[in-house]
Amino acid sequence: MSVVLGKQEEALPPILPAAESLPAPKETTTKPVTVIRPRNAWVPLDLWEIWRFRELWLFLTWRDIKVRYRQTVLGVLWAVIQPLFAVLIFTLFFGRLAGMPSDGIPYPLFAYAGLLPWLFFANAVTQGSNSLVNSAHLITKVYFPRLLIPASAVGAAAVDFCIAFTLLLVLYFWHAWRGLIAFPGLNMLLVVPLMVLLALLALGVGLWMSALNVRYRDIRHAIPFLIQIWMFATPIIYPASLVPERYRWILAINPLAGIIEAFRAVCFGLPMDWLSLAISVVVSGAILIVAAYGFRRMEKGFADVI
Amino acid sequence: MAAVFLENVHLTFRVRQQYQITLKEYLLRGMFRASRNPIREIHALRDVGLRLRAGDRFGIIGGNGAGKSTLLKLLAGIYAPTRGTRRVVGRISSLFELSLGFEMEASGRQNILYRGYLQGETPRSMRKKLDEIAEFSELGEFLDTPVRYYSAGMLVRLAFSIATAIEPEILLVDEVLSAGDLSFQEKARKRMREMMSKAQILVVVSHDLDSLRRICDRGIWLDHGQVRAEGPIDQVITAYTSHVEHRRAA
Repeated sequence: MSVVLGKQEEALPPILPAAESLPAPKETTTKPVTVIRPRNAWVPLDLWEIWRFRELWLFLTWRDIKVRYRQTVLGVLWAVIQPLFAVLIFTLFFGRLAGMPSDGIPYPLFAYAGLLPWLFFANAVTQGSNSLVNSAHLITKVYFPRLLIPASAVGAAAVDFCIAFTLLLVLYFWHAWRGLIAFPGLNMLLVVPLMVLLALLALGVGLWMSALNVRYRDIRHAIPFLIQIWMFATPIIYPASLVPERYRWILAINPLAGIIEAFRAVCFGLPMDWLSLAISVVVSGAILIVAAYGFRRMEKGFADVI
Repeated sequence: MAAVFLENVHLTFRVRQQYQITLKEYLLRGMFRASRNPIREIHALRDVGLRLRAGDRFGIIGGNGAGKSTLLKLLAGIYAPTRGTRRVVGRISSLFELSLGFEMEASGRQNILYRGYLQGETPRSMRKKLDEIAEFSELGEFLDTPVRYYSAGMLVRLAFSIATAIEPEILLVDEVLSAGDLSFQEKARKRMREMMSKAQILVVVSHDLDSLRRICDRGIWLDHGQVRAEGPIDQVITAYTSHVEHRRAA
């Protein structure tokens, strides 16, 4: 191989050996093969790669929780305090003063059971949408599946949810003890698949928002009030039955409505609205798939603009 | 066998003079008059090709801003080529910056795991290395305290110990590192040499031409994102230095 020099002003002559002169590389299935195509191309999700990095996801989740409660006296108790005080205020204004119906469930319990999944979703999306920008120092220095960063925000929100859920159980048994509601049955276990569905929806929205936020920092300012509007568009502080029959379909388009109503139905043994839950599953799935592919497409440009 | 291929790789950054895009700008997009905040294209790499196979020791030289580190980051997968293809067979490990991602709240030991996971290690592969890294760093019981209480020297030692504990297939190094106080430096240099000799493919960016001559057998000289020379490292270095001297004389 010889050294070829070109003058700076001239077009440079080809220097590298012709492709044919080198043997093709042997490909084996055991070695990871990475082909990076130019940006803007649609790329496969490569779930295997994400699975390979699962430990990193756990660590990032742990870090998110640790950072959130750093230097706080009450620590993770905040995960309970936030929904608790929200419920107190809602109970006072909507339950007592406005006399909001609550499907025959004591209003505080009704509101808390709606707020829990909602707060999980809202936290996951809010934290998730800022997560990439906050991890700029990692993104510009090392390659790993970027999807794990917003996914860790969902993980951290899930931990908060689990802590707050224990209080729901306490409230629940206390009300049941006093005979205000029936004792919970085994159908309460259905909470688990519902939360998985909600986590997938939160991941989908979080992926989308975080990727957009890298390029358009407007998202950071838009998210808080989008979340607030979304909250009122979802039957959290009011029951879906309050909405007149002919407008019910508007609620059904909102994938959160079906999930949260189902969450309450499972908790309190109310009749399940299978149709709106089915719509939620379809809409959530569609959001997640589109968001995941869009994210993979956009992630190549993250390091340039972040 | 590990291999790295770049074919006709171009990398272009589109930047605006001002970072902010105003809403008006966004909506009008220079429809009526020339934008006062035009997009400038910066050609970081132009038509770069590389073929590296197991056993290669490859050096990249060039002036400041020539695209050396950018090329390394592209090889690592941090940037994707604007045009052309990058193909990598094998696992890439990169040593760019020691300060990469310490979690200040986590202990030294947790950070060892974290950094390992960032580089694609698994719990099983890390279990074997954890003790070895801990021992090499000489941090002893400090490994169980949060990293935020470490002195600068301790941080460097920990970072170096982690970064060099990998068993690389393809190793990308930006500036040959040196770390810590005198006694640690001696140890560090030896460990660095060992690691580089274990890699199947080594790509080094450096301004230290003498060490490049020792470490590498082939290399390229990058200038304004273009390959000016490619071949045996001695000849590439000679070409580069004579060019620099020529410019200085003129």
